Formats: sequence, C-alpha cells, structure tokens
Amino acid sequence: MTRSGEHAEIRDQLALYVAGALEADTEASIAQHVATCPSCAAELERWQMIGSGLRRLPTPQPSPALFERTRAMAAAQLAAHAEQRQNRIVLVLLIIFSWAVTIAGWPVFRFATGGLLSLLDIRFREAWIQFAIFSAITWLAGGSAAVLLSVRRQHERRLA
Amino acid sequence: MGIDAAVVQLRRGDPDALATLMARYQNRIYRYLLRLVRQPADAEDLFQQTWLRVAERIRTFDTSRNFDAWLFTIARNLAFDHLRRRRPSSLDQPVSDGSPDDTVVSRLMSGDPGPFDLLLARERARHLDVALEKLPLSYREVLSLRFEEEMKLEEIAIVLAAPLSTVKSRLSRSLVQLREMLEQENPDEVWP
Repeated sequence: MTRSGEHAEIRDQLALYVAGALEADTEASIAQHVATCPSCAAELERWQMIGSGLRRLPTPQPSPALFERTRAMAAAQLAAHAEQRQNRIVLVLLIIFSWAVTIAGWPVFRFATGGLLSLLDIRFREAWIQFAIFSAITWLAGGSAAVLLSVRRQHERRLA
Repeated sequence: MGIDAAVVQLRRGDPDALATLMARYQNRIYRYLLRLVRQPADAEDLFQQTWLRVAERIRTFDTSRNFDAWLFTIARNLAFDHLRRRRPSSLDQPVSDGSPDDTVVSRLMSGDPGPFDLLLARERARHLDVALEKLPLSYREVLSLRFEEEMKLEEIAIVLAAPLSTVKSRLSRSLVQLREMLEQENPDEVWP
C-alpha cells in the first residue's frame, strides 16, 4: 500500500477510533501510524476534540418534583399489580379448595347419610341430585368467601 | 443496594428498590429521552411513562440479561411511538425548528457567569449541542448512547435492535456528519 493510501485508510477509521468502536489490533495499528505521522495525528486530535466534547455535554436532570411524582405513580402501580397477583392466587386456591371439598366430601356425605354400605351402593338416579346439591353448596360457600375477601380488601384499601 | 440486587427486589414488588433504580438512572434516562424528543415537556412525560412501564413489566425481565439495555429499550420504544404520533413522516429528518439559542444546553447553563474559560467551554458545548440537534434522529441517538451514556456497542445493538455492523456504520456516519456541521457553522472554532 502507498503511503497516501495508508493515510486515507487510517483517516477513514479515525471517527470509529475515538468512539472506541474498533478491534484492538486495528486500534494498535492506528496508534502506531499516528505516532509517526503528524498530519494524521492532527486529524486524530480534531476527532478527539469532538469525542471529548460529546462526552462533556452537560447532563440535564429531571426536577425533584417530576422524580417524586413518577416514583409515587410507579410505586402505586407496583402495589396494584402485586394485589392483582395475590387475588389471582387466592382465587386459584379457592377453586382448588372447592374441588377438593367436593370430591373428598362426597364419600363422607354418603357415609354419614347411609352408613358404610351406602358407599358401595351405586344408585345414580338419586346420587346425581344429591351430588349437584352438595356441589352447589360448596361452590356457593367458595364464591361467598371470595366476595367477602374482596370486600374486605377494598375496605382495607380505603382505610390505608 | 447494587443494581442487580435492586432489580431482583423490584421483581418482588419492593418500592424501595424502585426508588433506588430511579435515583440511579433518572439522569441518564431523562437525558436520552431529551436527546430523542428534544422538548423538555415531552421528555418529562416519557420519563414518567418509562418508569410506569418498568413497574408494569419488571416481572417479565430476565435477570440474566442486561438491565441497562432493557431499560433504554423501553424508553426508546416509548419515545419512537411518541414521535410517530407527533411527526409521522419526519422521524429521520434533520430538524432546525426553534431558535438556535433556545437549546437544552442553554437552558441547563443558565446561571451565574463563570471564568472566561468556563464561558468558552459553554459556548463550544452550545455549538456542539446545536449541531447535534440538527442531526437525524438515528444519528443523535447513537451518539448519545455511545458518548453520553457510554454504552458498549453490544448494548447499543440491543437497544437499537440492530446488528453490530449497523451500529458501527451509523456511529461513523453520525460523527462525520456532526463534524461537517460543526466545521461548516463554526469555521473558526477551536475545540479544546
């Protein structure tokens, strides 16, 4: 490569050099070149002035009022999301509980009303009505608990 | 509390961690938004939206990833949405609206007059800021992320959702254009 070609190639990369965007070996070769080339060194100095100027631009700052307002709003949003998550968990637990009571409670109910042998007595015509009533009671109980819980939370939130 | 610990705590819904992160990043996020949208009122609105979005989505953040890049991506997306709504056809156009004297820097630099060299430095900074303001949005952005935010190129690539090669070429073109603008508008300027 001719000397002028080398200068041109080096100068093309000086902008990225001051931006620290070159590979280490390329940086090293540029540093080596500018150490012995006053014209490229002067060109590099101009780029470095721009780079340092950009780095030293003043930092605008949000006002304390904006910071505080934003912090309060974001904190309220965090709390609202946390409550939503908690409500979802409670709802899922209530559903699981209701199903558990329904499934586990049915044999107990049969045993209590008909004795031990009734567990083996499969008379579906009567059984499905009893089962439906029993399920409705348990689901109503679960639903009522969920509503009561929700009302209580809303009350607590209003007091907070 | 360190950044990583604060992020973990914030994912658990800790408002103190939110305050810690906001205090740590407030200047950088505000400066970046101001660099993108240029209007302080818009930047303030976007600043609020950014942190609300952080509070909303922090649980989706993968703690093994880079929080800076995630945060700046949120700010960037909000700013670009805002700019699309405001100026749908001019996202990448150089803009020279408003008085050249009414810049972010001039607003920031109001105050008591200092020594001569300080005034000179302010004047140079103002020229640089004016030139920067006139660059296309994509150039302003990449310069701000690299020189003001001091982000690594890989982080910038994540924020811009662009390959590393694009980041480098955009960085190079933006510096060249900035220099041309400075030399054209301030031919006698001597940079420190």
